[in-house]
This record gives sequence, structure tokens and C-alpha cells, in this order.
Amino acid sequence: MGGFDFSNHTRNAALMSAGMPAPKATSTGTTIVGCLYDGGVVIAADTRATSGPIVADKNCEKLHYISPQIWCAGAGTAADTEFTTAIVSSNLELHALSTGRKPRVVTCMTMLKQHLFKYQGHIGAYLVVAGCDPTGSHLYTVHAHGSTDRLPYVTMGSGSLAAMSVFETEWKKGLDREGAVNLCSQAILAGIFNDLGSGSNCDVCVITPEKATLMRNYITPNVRVPKELNYRFERGTTAVLQEKIIQKDELRRYITVTEVDAKGEATLTTDVMQVDA
Amino acid sequence: MASSYMLPGAQQAPSFHSHPSTASQPRQHHWSPYTENGGVILGIAGKDYVILAGDTRSSEGYSINTRTARKIFDVGSGLVLGVVGMSADGEELARRVARKIDDYKRSHDKHITVNAAAVMLSRILYAKRFFPYYVQPLLGGLDENGVGAIYTYDYVGSFERESSRAFGAAASLITPFLDNQINLKNQFEPGSNGEVPRKPGDMPRETVEKIVKDAFTSAVERHIEVGDGLQLVTVMRAPPRAEGAEPEEEEDEREKTAGGGVISEVMSELKKD
Amino acid sequence: MVSRTGNLNEDGIHVDMEHLKKGEVNLGTSIMAIEFEGGVILGADSRTTTGAYIANRVTDKLTQITDAVWCCRSGSAADTQAVADIVRYHLNLYEIQNGQPPSVKVAATIFQEICYTNKDALTAGIIVAGVDRHKGGQVYNIPLGGSLHKSKYTISGSGSSYIYGFCDSYWKDNMTEQEGMQFVKEALKEAIKWDGSSGGVIRMVVLKKGKKPERHLFLPDEDYADPPKEQTA
Repeated sequence: MGGFDFSNHTRNAALMSAGMPAPKATSTGTTIVGCLYDGGVVIAADTRATSGPIVADKNCEKLHYISPQIWCAGAGTAADTEFTTAIVSSNLELHALSTGRKPRVVTCMTMLKQHLFKYQGHIGAYLVVAGCDPTGSHLYTVHAHGSTDRLPYVTMGSGSLAAMSVFETEWKKGLDREGAVNLCSQAILAGIFNDLGSGSNCDVCVITPEKATLMRNYITPNVRVPKELNYRFERGTTAVLQEKIIQKDELRRYITVTEVDAKGEATLTTDVMQVDA
Repeated sequence: MASSYMLPGAQQAPSFHSHPSTASQPRQHHWSPYTENGGVILGIAGKDYVILAGDTRSSEGYSINTRTARKIFDVGSGLVLGVVGMSADGEELARRVARKIDDYKRSHDKHITVNAAAVMLSRILYAKRFFPYYVQPLLGGLDENGVGAIYTYDYVGSFERESSRAFGAAASLITPFLDNQINLKNQFEPGSNGEVPRKPGDMPRETVEKIVKDAFTSAVERHIEVGDGLQLVTVMRAPPRAEGAEPEEEEDEREKTAGGGVISEVMSELKKD
Repeated sequence: MVSRTGNLNEDGIHVDMEHLKKGEVNLGTSIMAIEFEGGVILGADSRTTTGAYIANRVTDKLTQITDAVWCCRSGSAADTQAVADIVRYHLNLYEIQNGQPPSVKVAATIFQEICYTNKDALTAGIIVAGVDRHKGGQVYNIPLGGSLHKSKYTISGSGSSYIYGFCDSYWKDNMTEQEGMQFVKEALKEAIKWDGSSGGVIRMVVLKKGKKPERHLFLPDEDYADPPKEQTA
């Protein structure tokens, strides 16, 4: 029997109708890592914040405070990591107050995962949770959909592959504090230099049963080079299109003026715009 | 007799007896012949020189393909071509332009002028009107009067001669800076009470090179696809030959360059994050 | 584009139960549980993926629910962790209210209840296995739609497709503990070998009546060999 073979037609039609749009990578560029060591835990992050291909902040803080001994590194949507950690920090404080006990890392992790699971991934917070509590030192990752992992070393964010390559080659059992800090900062540097979403400086936080030490800008490998020229404009370069002088006693017509006594030291200072070089 | 094949979805779904897998969803695989490789180039034409500069990073998404990719090409006859967009198309375009310029020299026994080369490049681009090179090109050289010329193009060959231009990822960051510092836009003569705009005059090459460097170090600060290295290419007039000196072979070649231009290149470092 | 979760296709029949949300962490898994002479054995690989990236290579997919009831998780990591946590809560409460631990059947039924009523929102394929004083070791499977199947052994997850033949050929009723562990290990070795979404170490839990759960770990760099002596990890 001759004729055309249409046996694939139905299949192709089904495939057409099922055509899925390719998953869009909306993860905000970041490298965050964490590593347990004998006697504590270290987390670290880069400091670049981006919106699309533009660097929005060259030195932002991605290490968030949860409780004195629990800190969190955040990747994903900046607002989500900020607010999720703030909410959990607040609730954990209340929990600690009502139980009269120090907050535990597992409690923090559980609050985060239940919060994130409730929102089915719409809250784009990817977190590394670390801390010390009476049960020991702990390190977790929490994904936006609410899944958690418990590992001796972790990475997250767009630079997580670069950072994990450092851990997978360099990590060994029984690290000390210095070794863990070095390893974490090296992993962050791998992210900073090999992932376009990550950049600028390296922040590190070391948590021990005694205290947490935040080392802001622990490494600054990307200092801006000085400019070749001076870009200070000569006075009069900008056209003055309109000029209006408001006398001090007329001020009240435009704004609310509150008198401050001499002790208040509330002096009106004119800020001079600082121009580089 | 039509043979019956099971639908890919039907294999798992109706029985509820299927297992989760990584390749869980039917995905439409679409392929594009174009990629965007980031980077930025700029060109500035002076009274007797042309500067073309570009960063040397080539990237895809959040990954760096190479930190040492040149975007400015010597295409012969004292002309330089800057390309940004899709690096594969850029390199192909530069090869073709260089080849055509060489052909011209061999058939006419003289160097092509920059304006003739500009028209030629336009034709090359328009020939691919319905499958364009994904490239924004800048052509630079000295014209017949030895004056710096920059020709700028869109993807399909529309072009014009300009005095300064930035193309690529951070063009939107660099353009206003160039407008202000090279063409002195929004600047008035001090003391003229905003009446006399500052006129862009003959800026010394050394100053322009510094402005170019500052443009790049600033773009690196704020654009993730710009960085690694800076390639700064200058086309200048050849110094006059000393009286009575024997013309060397290379110098001979150089003299035939339409605008009498010689090309020099300086490489320097940019931040790598 | 229509959201496909729980939606009928144009033909009105086919439902895409395989859907995972974008970027979701997936347990593209090989899991199984068997009854043996003295109880049950649960086994699993340890790979967790996000797309092509292995997010965790030493995952523990064998999760304790009560003293004597454990489960194997496959599908979405977030969903199965959430379900396991909720069931654990219910069964803890059950034990307190009834003064005795729940039977394996009760545990499996609660799993089923949650998986069935929330089938639109969940991607969870769970095996429940445990021992109780009434019926000894039992194995239940709860595949994607939320149905409940009792069997002597069950396999699940993406890697299981490769070992139906193996298991069918080598299965025997009333194996000894050693035979059972060998069966599980060899089956999972095959699943890991052929399934790209499965890998890492092999984890096992042995549950025997009146005994504490025993954990076993087999490493790929030793070709999943038995440890020299008795080893519990």
C-alpha cells in the first residue's frame, strides 16, 4: 500500500501544543558559600548586586543577621532574601524569648523552609544558613521551593559552580578556622572572577560557639583604578537658566522650619559635591 | 494501515504509574544562529588621527569565553575595523573586509580610501539583508586629506561618518560621556552666562587616549560584560621621511596608504571581575 | 502558554504529572524497599539535581517518620520533605493520643491521604516501609497520583525503569538479611549505572522487629563493596 506516512502527525501536533517555553534564568547573580570546620562554621559572599547586565551596587551586603549566633547568606531576588531573613530573624527572637532558650539553627532552617514552601517558589530566596547552638555547629542550604540540604560545604547562586569546583578540589576533613576562612574566600574569588553575575569584594562571617565575627570586605581584589583625568568642571560651564533667591525669613512659605537651639548643633551645611581625582 | 504509536505524554500519564525524572517536561528545543558575546568598542576621530578601542572580554550569559579577544582588526591599507555583537560574525566580517581591501589593492595598485572602503562595507552588510551579520561595525582610518574618519553602521549596512561613537554592551554608559567630553555637549564657555556653547576643537591625541581609558575603566565598574583587557588602536599620519633617506620597502607600502596612516596598538589591563 | 500542572490536554485525557516547577530541586532518583525474612530494607541512591547540576551528591533520601516506619522520597525535594514533615507530625501526635505507635499501614495511609488530596500541587513519589507488632515488615508504594499499593517489594524513581527486569528475575520471598541487602544493592547499582539522574552513594536502612534501625553506606569509589566488617554509618 502506497501513500504518505502520517504516523508522526499526531505526535508532532501534540508536541506543538505542549511547546514549553524555555525556563528563563532570573536568578540574580551571586556567589555564596559555607563550610563547617572543627569548632565552628564559616559563610562568605561576594558583594555585587546586578539588575540585568548593569552593576546596581558594587559593595552590597549579602550576609544577613538572624540571631547573634546564626547568620544567613542570600542569593536570588534581593528583596526576597532581605525580607525572608528579617521575618525569620524576628520570629526566632520571639521564639527564643518565649522558650527562654537560645535559638537553634535547625529551628531557623525549618521556619525558612516552611515559609518558602508555602509560597511555592514565588519567593525567590536561595539561602545558606549557618550557626552555632547548644547542639553544635550547623550548615544548611534552603532553596526557594522549600527544600533543604545539610552538608559540610555548600555553595549557591550563579557562581555556585565556580565556587563548588574549589570545594570539590581543595576541601579536606578536619579544617581549622584559618583553613575554612581561606577555603571559603577562595571559593568566593572563583565566583567573583569566573561568574559575571558575581564581583567586587569578599565578605566572610565566622561563627563559633562563643561569638560571630563578621569580616566585611575581608578581601578587596577589585579596587577601582584611578582616573587619568580630572573631570571637575570650571565654574560657569553649566548654563544657569533661572535664578531665584529665597531669603531665610521667607523659608516658611516653602517648607516647615523647626528652630533648634544653639546646643542642638543643627547647622545648615552646604555639601560640596566631591568629584574624583 | 496506519500504525499506531503511543504519544510521548501518554506513556506515563494515564496509568499514574510513572516516575519522576529530570527530563520531566516536554521542551521545545529552539536553536538560534545568533549569540550575543558582550563587550564594548568605541571610535573617536581627530584632526589627524583616529582612535578605536575595545575591551577584550568575550562572554556568553554569565560565563566568560575568553579574556583576550581582540575586537579591533587591522584590515589593511591603514584602515581599522571594530566589531562588537556576535564575535564569530565579527571575525568573519573582519576577514572578508580585509580580503576585499587586499583585492582592491592588487587590482588597482593603490590603497583604498576610507570612504570607498566605507561604501564597500555597507554593501557587504546589505548583501546579507535577510540573514544579517549580528555585528555593529566601526570603520576607522585617515581620509584623503589625512583627517581622521569614523564610519558607523547598523547590522544591515546603513552608515554615516561621525566624529565619535560607542557600540556594544556598555554603549549606553559611554555615549553620554563621549558626548560631554569629546563633543563638549551641555558645556558652555565659563563666564559666557550660558550663551556660548563650548566648541569641540582639536583635542590632542594624548588627552583623547586618556578619556578613552577612563571611559573603559568606568564601564568596567558598572557593566558585567565589560572587562579583562583594553585594546587601544591608533591610526596616525606617518612621520615625513628624512631628506635623502632611502625608502625602505615597508615604508614604501605605507606611503601608498590613501591617508598616509600608520597603525599602532597598545594593550593594557582592565579589571577581571 | 497554559500552565500544565493538573490541566487536561486538548484531548481531554492526558495529564502531565511529570511537571516540576522551574528551577525546582529534583530527586531524579532510584529508590526501593523490600520485605525480607526479618523485616524490611529500604535503599536509595544519593543524587539531587537542579537541571544538569548535581546540587547534592550525598543526599539522604531515606527519611525516618517514626521509630519503625521510614520512607524513600522521589520527585520534588521540597514537596517530599514537606510531606514527610507533615506525616511525621501526625504520627507523633497519633502515638501520643493512642499510647502506641502507628502501624505501617496507618503511616502509609496518611502519606496517601496527603499525596492524593494535594495531587495537583505535588510531585512526590514515596515508598513507605516499616515494621509493626501486628504484621511485621511491610512495604507500600505511593506513586504520583496518590494511590496506595502494598507489595513484597517496590521500586520507584526515574532509575527504577531500568531494573524491573532485574528485580523480577532475582526476587525471592523470605530472603535472609544478607540476601536482601545484596538484592537491593545490586538492583540500585544497575539503576545508578543506567540512569543519569541517579548516582552517588547507595544508602540502606534495615528495619527489624524490636530492633533499632541499622544504616548502611556503600561508596562508589569502592564499587559499592561491602565494608570489611560490620559497619553502620
